[in-house]
Amino acid sequence: MTAHNRRPLPKRGLVWLSVIVVALAAPLVFRSDTALNIGILLLLYATLAQAWNILGGLAGQISFGNAVFFGIGAYTSTVLLVRAGVSPWLGMLAGAALALVVALLVGFPMFRLGGHYFAIATIALGEIASTIVTNWDAVGGATGIVIPLVRDAQGQPSDSWRMLQFNQSRLPYYYLALVLLALTTLVTALILRSKLGYYLRAIRNDQQAARALGVAVLRYKLAAIALSAIFTAIAGTLYAQYLLYIDPETTMRLDLSVLAALIAILGGVGTVAGPLIGAAVMVPMSELTRAFLGGGGNAIDLLLYGGLIVLISLFEPQGLIGIGRRFRRSPRSQPVTVEPAPISSSEEAH
Amino acid sequence: MNSLTRRQVLRLGLAGLAGGLLAACGGQATSTPTPAKSSGAATSSTATAQTPTTAATATKATTATASTASGSSKTIRIGVIFPLTGTAASVGNDAKQAVQLAVQLVNEGAPDIALPLAKGGGLPNLGGAKVELVFGDSQGKAEVGQSEAERLIKQEKVVALLGCYQSAVTKTASAVAERAGIPLVNGDSSSPALTEQGYQWFFRTSPHDGDFSKIIMEFLQALTQQKNAGIKTVSLLYEDTDFGVNSAQALKAEAQAHGLQVVGEVKYKANATSLTTEVQTLKGQNADALVPSSYTNDAILTIKTAQQLGYLPKMIVAQDAGYADPAFISGVGANIAEGMCTRSAFSVDITQLKPAAAKVNELYKKAAGKDIYDVPARDFTAMLVLLDAINRAGSTDPAAIKRALEATNLGPNDTIMPWKGVKFDSKHQNTLGTGIILQIRDGQYRTVYPFDVKTIDVTFPLKPWNQR
Repeated sequence: MTAHNRRPLPKRGLVWLSVIVVALAAPLVFRSDTALNIGILLLLYATLAQAWNILGGLAGQISFGNAVFFGIGAYTSTVLLVRAGVSPWLGMLAGAALALVVALLVGFPMFRLGGHYFAIATIALGEIASTIVTNWDAVGGATGIVIPLVRDAQGQPSDSWRMLQFNQSRLPYYYLALVLLALTTLVTALILRSKLGYYLRAIRNDQQAARALGVAVLRYKLAAIALSAIFTAIAGTLYAQYLLYIDPETTMRLDLSVLAALIAILGGVGTVAGPLIGAAVMVPMSELTRAFLGGGGNAIDLLLYGGLIVLISLFEPQGLIGIGRRFRRSPRSQPVTVEPAPISSSEEAH
Repeated sequence: MNSLTRRQVLRLGLAGLAGGLLAACGGQATSTPTPAKSSGAATSSTATAQTPTTAATATKATTATASTASGSSKTIRIGVIFPLTGTAASVGNDAKQAVQLAVQLVNEGAPDIALPLAKGGGLPNLGGAKVELVFGDSQGKAEVGQSEAERLIKQEKVVALLGCYQSAVTKTASAVAERAGIPLVNGDSSSPALTEQGYQWFFRTSPHDGDFSKIIMEFLQALTQQKNAGIKTVSLLYEDTDFGVNSAQALKAEAQAHGLQVVGEVKYKANATSLTTEVQTLKGQNADALVPSSYTNDAILTIKTAQQLGYLPKMIVAQDAGYADPAFISGVGANIAEGMCTRSAFSVDITQLKPAAAKVNELYKKAAGKDIYDVPARDFTAMLVLLDAINRAGSTDPAAIKRALEATNLGPNDTIMPWKGVKFDSKHQNTLGTGIILQIRDGQYRTVYPFDVKTIDVTFPLKPWNQR
């Protein structure tokens, strides 16, 4: 995993710069609302995957319960908005704070479980949370909550920055999601270079050894889950404002937790670029196969989508980022860079 | 060495994948003219629609009918969103067949069916313009419904939307339609909230949970008052979903209004693996009647468990869904299901009273291989209501279509439903739609209430388990 850190910085900076330019310019080139919709979903799911990556990739704690934090973000801001007219901007902060508290509360007992048991516990956590919300009438229960449209004097749906709702053009949603993803990615990159990042990787590689060396394992795992929860919750608020409707099915489903993990793992777990690459491939793949093949009702789109996932994970367990490395490395054939064995790193991911 | 062969395998895989994708896209591109061909064949003579093979090819195509072959200059594109994959896929695909049939009637005609626009030749007020359907698959997920609504409106340039079965999906799709100013006609979502949120572009032709709950309680009241069934208390059993919870709320309100006492409610987790505790609780409540709201798997499990535990109220009247699914009867066995009732908006024996419904069912049976039932019949009706409005608007302008929808005024003989007609109130809810009560008799659903549209006399109470 450390091999890519050795490459000269300026070149990598150039790649990132061009990614940012492309992301900023994309909606100005692809102007259709369909493309914009794919773009927004891509950025939101990439954020989910990146936030998952902090906990699952860097710290090696495979979580299938991140939808809980997503749901907390979506529900907190929406309930505050619908019940008390609180701006979703404040609701977003409240949701992030609540997610942080819940993350610490559930992380404390759950991090005592190792490996697969932690993963199973997170599934249980997700199910518990979704059952609570489904049966909690004060937050809409099973029926969910419809966020009322902001309308202008003529009764036409209009835009409102205060209410974080954009009905005329979806462009603001795109850039807000882009800012959130950039922030999440920046934090991940900073963690990777910081002391925290080294501690987390030490925990991932061998928890016992890390503890023996004096790393406060529980404390750093809690830091990882807290950061993961905060960004996931903010994405939840944004998603609720984009969809204008939330129910336990859409915000707390196990699918969503799995999707976050799937995108990160397919893209390349534990790297900064992995979740972004994963989302950039998976989201358009899912949307486009459905758009072209979905109307027939014969599930060819889902078969193709599933088949692609199987192929990628079969042939490149390191994720899509591994494919890129493979092609880049082959002409140089330096003995040092060939060294990281893909098999062992794939075992960590599972 | 190892890595080299791996790389080769990888490249091969990727190449194969790319090939597959290309083939798939190519298949899609070439499939567009295919429906035109088949519909062209069907348009050449209306009689061909009667032969099973052409009817099958016409409905198998992704778009029901494309007017490219018919020579008409104008095509009206309507977007349709259903759950074509996922747990509700079978209902979604049956509904798809039904709306395709509705469009086929308008485009190609079936002169012997006395329904508006069924004379054929497209929409007369638009110069005989043909209708083309573009389908979207919601997968039964609210967020996918939003994406599909967005795509159909912006990319496929549809002038109106129809769908989307699950209330949650209809909620997100209707928000998209509202933003874009495109009418969305819904024929099959029962959550009252949909018409309560004050959307200007949303129309519902079907009754909602409130109307349906009313007919259930009315039926129980009528059984007691007119037939001495002695039903005074009711238990509710419902799943913990949008459908179940809303249904229970409406049922409670209507029970009170009809002088029935709800002695207990049991909420359970949808798709449960065991309902033993729930049925035990119901048994303890010992109500005269049980009103369950469940989908097929849970409905079968409930009745099987009730039989095991010896729980049997005087009457069971279900809130549609699983109990109205023919798979329920085959799942528990016809003799076990005998005598149980469910509300519905349609029953195939209505065809005995409505000749138009009988003919529509004939055509549907040829295309889908089974009788038309509640949801497909409601969507068939919703599609005809929408086409009627577009025709009266004489324009494809969404605002004109919306105004025409608001002015809709159809009578009892303009639909295949046992309704008084279609007329929208200020919230765009059809005020003339009603539910009916069906009873399972010898493995068939028979209409027993309202008494003026019944095809058979209701029997009660339910026969003890050991006498079946």
